[in-house]
Amino acid sequence: MKYTLYPGCASEGTAISYHHSALEVAKVLGLELKEIEDWNCCGATVTSSVIGQFAADVLAARNLALAEKMGQEDVVATCSSCYAILGNVNKKFSDEKFKVNANDALSKDGLSYDGKLKVRMLLDVMVSEVGLDTIASKVVKPLKGLKVAGYVGCQTVRALREFDNWENPTFLDEIIAALGAEPVPFSHKLKCCTGAMAISSADITVSALYPILKSAHEAGADLIVTPCPLCQMNLDAFQVKVNKGYGTNYNLPVLFFTQLMAVAYGLDSKKAGLDYCIVSPNNALKQFGV
Amino acid sequence: MSDATAKEKATIKYDSEFTKKVYEMENGKWVKMCMQCGICPTTCALKEKMDLSPRRIIQLIRAGRKDEVLKANTMWLCTSCYTCACRCPRGVPMMDVMHDLRHLAVENGINHNSQAMAEVYAKDVSKRGRIWEGGLMLNYGLKIGLGNFMKMALDMQDVGKGLMLHRRLPLLPPKGVKNPGKLREVLNRAQEIAKKEGGH
Repeated sequence: MKYTLYPGCASEGTAISYHHSALEVAKVLGLELKEIEDWNCCGATVTSSVIGQFAADVLAARNLALAEKMGQEDVVATCSSCYAILGNVNKKFSDEKFKVNANDALSKDGLSYDGKLKVRMLLDVMVSEVGLDTIASKVVKPLKGLKVAGYVGCQTVRALREFDNWENPTFLDEIIAALGAEPVPFSHKLKCCTGAMAISSADITVSALYPILKSAHEAGADLIVTPCPLCQMNLDAFQVKVNKGYGTNYNLPVLFFTQLMAVAYGLDSKKAGLDYCIVSPNNALKQFGV
Repeated sequence: MSDATAKEKATIKYDSEFTKKVYEMENGKWVKMCMQCGICPTTCALKEKMDLSPRRIIQLIRAGRKDEVLKANTMWLCTSCYTCACRCPRGVPMMDVMHDLRHLAVENGINHNSQAMAEVYAKDVSKRGRIWEGGLMLNYGLKIGLGNFMKMALDMQDVGKGLMLHRRLPLLPPKGVKNPGKLREVLNRAQEIAKKEGGH
């Protein structure tokens, strides 16, 4: 099974552990991920307010043009926001006028895009293509007794509405269960973490994070997993601020779901990228040899 | 009614040109689609922090109330979480409308911290083609002014410490695209096209 991988900017910084653990887990599963050569930032949701919607669309489309140049494999994104942006732009290529104009701009870099590739999210590829049976079959350390809150976040299932159920998603919980752990239901599974607002309006972010952590904690979770870099960073790095602001004492490790898979697959702590976690998962995962 | 209130009422500006301008923007057609049912504020993650609800913003755009629309914090607080877009019976992608409104607010000289962040972000994109997350925070700090930067640095030191200690904020920029000059040419051409087409 082959895909072209769009790593996204967070893979080189705040979500470096996602990138590495995803590649390690993909190896175990026989999932071939070939990085898009010379990829650029997808523009996220902020660029369009500076350079305009169309230029922001072309910025994202450059990656699809590069992917197409490499072959006919569909593109897979690890980050929810990158997936939302690339997927939305990809859809626009079915409009002939948009396509002609976008390719006019892309020709300045000697590129063009036909619009034939699909953009997928890693979480979707894992469940829909690799399959839960295969995911379960590679487990060497079943995570028995571990209670996990699967925090899907907002854009993952809602931005394109192309996989899972966007009001009551189950994919993430199904992966957690396939690893032998227990997915716990919690009310704030899909609530927004406020994303990049964490930098410009930290107080608002903290007020949004508190109920997410609270509901995961009250559901008895030992840790949280997520498929989104911004969700992970906000819940992990700002947990200290939530505790200060609300007088709480949360100590909930926040992992990318691929990191939890790596642990269940018996990969070492380095390959699982556990050192990058700010709230240490060592205690919660001690019984599984971490 | 006191004289002052009466005067204030009399001076509310209804600007039909503004309504037309929003309709002509890239996502302006959606403003016409809204049926004012109010599901967007009931699902909005940050509704309580907003001056005006997304539904009210649409209503005011149609009424030509330019100043109230552009001065609201609503569009700056939209996180693009897509919750309202999923539940809107007319399928209005409210976050895209909000992005257009940000653009319009900036054109009218109104600014917000989120826009300062967006500008720093877009600058990194055009300079390197990729985002250097470590530098992003620093450049944002410089953009909002030294005083505000110091305040932010102090306020965020616990968060920053965690990220630094766990090597999550690269101190040096990771490599960018091979030829950022070409990427800028692409983006410039795209902006030219968008201008010519009057929005896409």
